[in-house]
Amino acid sequence: MHSLHGRLLLAASLVLAGFLGATGLALDKAFRVSAETATQDRLQSYIYALLAAANEDVDGRMIPPGELPEPRFSTPDSGLYAVITSTDSQSLWHSGSLTGRDLGATELQAPGERRFSRLARAGMQLYALSFGVAWEDDTGMEALYTFTVAEETTVFQAEIDSFRSTLWRWLGGMAVVLLLAQGVILRWGLRPLRAVTADLQQIEKGHADRLDGDYPRELAGLTSSLNSLIEHSKSVQTRYRNSLDDLAHSLKTPLAILQSSRPDSNDDPAASHALVSEQVERMDEIISHQLQRAAVSGRTTLAKPVAVSRVVERLVRSLDKVYREKQVTVELALDTAATFTGDEADLTEILGNLLENAYKYSGRMIRVSLQSDQHAAGYEISIEDDGPGIAPEQVDTVLQRGTRMDESLPGQGIGLSMANEIIAVYGGQLVFAASPLGGTLIRVSFQP
Amino acid sequence: MHILVVEDETRLREQLRDRLHDSGYVVDVAADGEEGLYYGEEYPLDLAIIDIGLPKLSGIELIRRLRAHDRHFPILILTARGNWQDKVDGLESGADDYLVKPFRFEELEARLNALLRRASGWSKPVLDCGPISLDTAKQSIRVAGNAVELTAFEYRVLEYLMLHAGEVISKTELTDNLYQQDYDRDSNVLEVFIGRLRRKLDPDNVLRPIETLRGRGYRFRLDASAG
Repeated sequence: MHSLHGRLLLAASLVLAGFLGATGLALDKAFRVSAETATQDRLQSYIYALLAAANEDVDGRMIPPGELPEPRFSTPDSGLYAVITSTDSQSLWHSGSLTGRDLGATELQAPGERRFSRLARAGMQLYALSFGVAWEDDTGMEALYTFTVAEETTVFQAEIDSFRSTLWRWLGGMAVVLLLAQGVILRWGLRPLRAVTADLQQIEKGHADRLDGDYPRELAGLTSSLNSLIEHSKSVQTRYRNSLDDLAHSLKTPLAILQSSRPDSNDDPAASHALVSEQVERMDEIISHQLQRAAVSGRTTLAKPVAVSRVVERLVRSLDKVYREKQVTVELALDTAATFTGDEADLTEILGNLLENAYKYSGRMIRVSLQSDQHAAGYEISIEDDGPGIAPEQVDTVLQRGTRMDESLPGQGIGLSMANEIIAVYGGQLVFAASPLGGTLIRVSFQP
Repeated sequence: MHILVVEDETRLREQLRDRLHDSGYVVDVAADGEEGLYYGEEYPLDLAIIDIGLPKLSGIELIRRLRAHDRHFPILILTARGNWQDKVDGLESGADDYLVKPFRFEELEARLNALLRRASGWSKPVLDCGPISLDTAKQSIRVAGNAVELTAFEYRVLEYLMLHAGEVISKTELTDNLYQQDYDRDSNVLEVFIGRLRRKLDPDNVLRPIETLRGRGYRFRLDASAG
């Protein structure tokens, strides 16, 4: 079952069928019981009528009824029969309707006792009620009789059948109506899902940029996550494309320089070697800058939060190893609660570039602090050193380094401008200031 | 000095082997991680240059295994991607320094020298022993302030002896660290080089910086002045 619609429909139909079936059975049973009770009451009333119709002779003994209270007793094969049995099990009297038939021996009942039963006699299905009667004659002698009235079940059965057919017609009709209603409700209820699917197909075909529909609350989380994924992948794609464009463009300049210098082989070999190595270095710088720029993942809502302090600690351990000889003292004041929402590699790249710069230019001392902003849940990382520092008028040059590829800046690192660009992608800010230690203070802040 | 280069790119591997050899190092090369692990475990090495992206066994894993087998020689990693995640992974696995491709050979050599010197317990790039001063960064020698020209091979002999100043270095150890394995060990070439080195460093035969201990080897006699 891979369809929500199918699942819901199947489950609801099974429940409906079970419920309607059980209802039908219960009603059927109840009707049957009440119909049997009604039959018993009717038979009892016939017995009373027969008793009333019986006469007594001069001695007060019973004479079976002559004039019968119900014409069906007199009509042969009418389906309604009566028998009066005396104590010696002798049939004392039977109704005219029973002519040519035999109800067989009937069980004698004590006076006042009755017995209701279903019989199969002479090819007939009967409901029979036997009732014991004590008839006291004038001498005070009591004679015991059993009155039995039997009615063929056809009448009863016809009632049951008609009830049943009505019942099941109604239940069946209700089932069809309910199923139809349920189908409609399901279609209506699941329509937003189909709408999302259709909208996604529009995006795939390129007819739409994002999920813009008015989706129900339950789907809002899903659609907004999808939208941010779509935006993210689009921005990554754009960045890749731009980087490739820039890469191709900017590599052409040094290649052109190399190409045009080749034919002039009368050049001094040392100068031509210097030219080659200068251009190679420039191309290397272009490639690493563009590749790293393209590799930045950017902000995404689905990223696992990264503990900033852990990244700082890893980098400091690694850089301590590389710059062991400088014997730099690193003071760390890290708030362990601050987390970066994005790719760990990006944060490592930002902080790696900034920290390496501090190690490179510091004398003996580096101070790193990480503070969370209590109110806005943002945080700020500051890295300061006691090196020569960067003059304010140089700041822009340092940050733009490597971004304008037409400029030739051999031998200068692009670390700071790289870090600055990644920070910008994440909506953060990088600020330069003078450190009380005497060197540069770089402050990076991220807002949530 | 015995150096292992583990690099899968044939061209670069051969270039490194040739240029390091020209600089007077004994060089072994391996083309993949498993071969690198074999060399690293079976040979006495002074340093290894390991590329991060290796076939069969990654550079990181190779370094981790070497360190797990108590191989403590310095390791320099080469990385093509140059991102910090790679560098940190490499350094955390046990490497001592990194170099991003492409690099200039001079830069590589400077890093090698610094690592080798550091591993021998010298914290400054200039080894000062009495009047003799050897600058590992510039690869230059001064005796009492005057520059002395040495060949690459002579320089390596002197550097090795000075890095181990005060220790007795057997001929075998010196040969192992100066020649490729297949070199004819019985030759007197080493003695000839030592003789030449003595004449260049000490033409008047007053300092006598290199002692010969008969049957045991050589010793750089002058104590380190600082560092």
